[in-house]
Amino acid sequence: MTEVAEAAGTRRRTGRERTRLTAWLQEYGVYAGVVVLLLFNTVFTEHFLSAENFRTQAVQVAPILIVALGMALAIGSEGIDLSVGSVMALSTSLVALYLGYGPWVALLVAVVGGAAVGLVNGSLIAHIGVQPIVATLALMVGGRGLALVLLPQLEDVRDPGMRALGSGDLLGVPYPALVAVVLVLLVGFTVRRTTFGRQLLAIGDSRPAARLAGLPVRRVLICVYVCSGVLAAVAGFLATARLQASDPTSLGTLMELSAITAVVVGGTPLSGGRVRVGGTVAGAVLIQLLTATLIKHDLPPSWTQLAQAVVIVVAVYAARERGKR
Amino acid sequence: MKPFVRRLSATALLTTLTLTLGCAKGEDDTSAPSKGAKDSGQVAAEPTAGAKSCDLAAYGGKKLDLANATVGFSQSEKEANPFRIAETASVKAEAKKRGIKLLTANAQSQFSKQISDVQDLIAKGADLLVIAPLNSDGWEPVLKQAAAKKIPIVTVDRKINAKACEDYVSFIGSDFVEQGRRAADQMIKATGGSGQVAILLGTPGNNVTTERTKGFTERLARKAPKLKVVFKQTGEFAREKGQQVTEQLIQSKPDIDGIYAENDEMGLGAVNALKGAGKKPGEVKIVTVDGTRNAVQGIVDKWIYGVVESNPRFGPLAFQTLEDFGKGGKVGQSIVIKDSAYTPANAERDLSKAF
Repeated sequence: MTEVAEAAGTRRRTGRERTRLTAWLQEYGVYAGVVVLLLFNTVFTEHFLSAENFRTQAVQVAPILIVALGMALAIGSEGIDLSVGSVMALSTSLVALYLGYGPWVALLVAVVGGAAVGLVNGSLIAHIGVQPIVATLALMVGGRGLALVLLPQLEDVRDPGMRALGSGDLLGVPYPALVAVVLVLLVGFTVRRTTFGRQLLAIGDSRPAARLAGLPVRRVLICVYVCSGVLAAVAGFLATARLQASDPTSLGTLMELSAITAVVVGGTPLSGGRVRVGGTVAGAVLIQLLTATLIKHDLPPSWTQLAQAVVIVVAVYAARERGKR
Repeated sequence: MKPFVRRLSATALLTTLTLTLGCAKGEDDTSAPSKGAKDSGQVAAEPTAGAKSCDLAAYGGKKLDLANATVGFSQSEKEANPFRIAETASVKAEAKKRGIKLLTANAQSQFSKQISDVQDLIAKGADLLVIAPLNSDGWEPVLKQAAAKKIPIVTVDRKINAKACEDYVSFIGSDFVEQGRRAADQMIKATGGSGQVAILLGTPGNNVTTERTKGFTERLARKAPKLKVVFKQTGEFAREKGQQVTEQLIQSKPDIDGIYAENDEMGLGAVNALKGAGKKPGEVKIVTVDGTRNAVQGIVDKWIYGVVESNPRFGPLAFQTLEDFGKGGKVGQSIVIKDSAYTPANAERDLSKAF
């Protein structure tokens, strides 16, 4: 009898240990992943530990990270935004059309464009009650179409200010990375410290409850998608500056998938009610390092996709265990 | 009142955007090709002895005078890249020059649309068809329809998997393997035949990618075994991808000697990356394929060593083939065009020929 009881106890204990492990994985797994990749590259990749290399990775990760921030807000409200890649394309088209007035006017118009797409997304979701995945899918298709109507083919950027923005730096930190850092702090502050952030999480947790509590559900949801649109537009602007060309055909393609991956791997649950900004940053960095590692070691491109799939499955598995508890 | 204000602000935002579109102002385009740019039409490569030909007797159908005929042109992809723009423009210009009625359709990269496009062109009364196919397979339904009406078909730039002179008359296009070989020749010349080179591959699974890679690596292995391919990653034929991949490459292999980009756009992305990494023009030899204006300008600026041309100006040769065929003459079943090349020696002089 006692043996049986002991065995049951051990089983319970290991079970508890396992949940503790998955909880830890869920909470800190993404940081561990980043550290593992950094260590791996330090040992096995030539010239990895150089300022130049870190600068390259920072510049490349900036657009993914900025888009992922908006995605994190949408997912935190129990939604999703598939239109982000197309908003980047729309943004690059608008930049090309308005660069004659200088980069700042171009940025402003691009941001207004992104906000407009977000407004349509948000209105469809909040007022008409369309599922977020359907509403933003419509804008994903339509947005790129519009981008190509505005600018049918690639156009080079020659504006010196714009070029400097894409290749210059401040105290060694490239401008795109700097913008990304500022936006991370801004979004982090919004989620944690503002009423809007609290309301967003409450809506993501349970929309009926939030409505009963008298929260302005529709207004908050619209704001969420406008934020996501604006962030994607900024990312599109920075990508244009870096490429020194507006290319609406290919800019931002599959960006929505990278952004969702960064958010989910970062531990933000798809069921809403929680936004992990730090985790999202680490998630974006993880994807970037993974891609960089595979390219630097000249592995076939299909491996990158497989490796990303493995990371997603592990992250979602950890999230599932957590949900069960 | 409040919902009203909200709706008003939303409408204001949207109208602002629509209104501002009216006063768009792009940059002054100084480098745009002048309208009078030389249009260098294609020239067929010398037919190899014993090459198969086709005529009316073998294909079936009756004589057609091209001058009074209606020609249908089905384009595969959106005219968003220089190649497609030049291809469509060349077909249109040639039809205009000859005073022929031309019907056009664009499949926007959707194969099902291209099939129905071609069916539409037939229904609208096209007597002859010029098709730039998106895919090689899946053409049976359309070919049957065309065969029933004995409509002569010429496919350009890509082949379709069907019987020449039975399902279609002839194919006109470049030899992509040969383009790869010629790029290898330029790379060998640029590097002196030894060192390390990287390849920026096109979209995976595309026959253009496979053939341009095959020609390049085979020629390198045969002619310059000391020139090693140490890096092969896809840039998906896009400038941004080409730039990103080259940025990673240049960090991990700073002493790379050459980069072979399988199209101009990726090559221009590589130039961006090299500039960003502080390299000097010519330090890394870049060889690309296509012959767009930007890339040839890159040779003049010393950032690109050479460009192998892939001539998109199918108009003159396609119409000539159809005219000869309609008169009852013999035309080749597979007409390979002669692509030229841009090198430091001729780039400045031939810049106006680039598309």
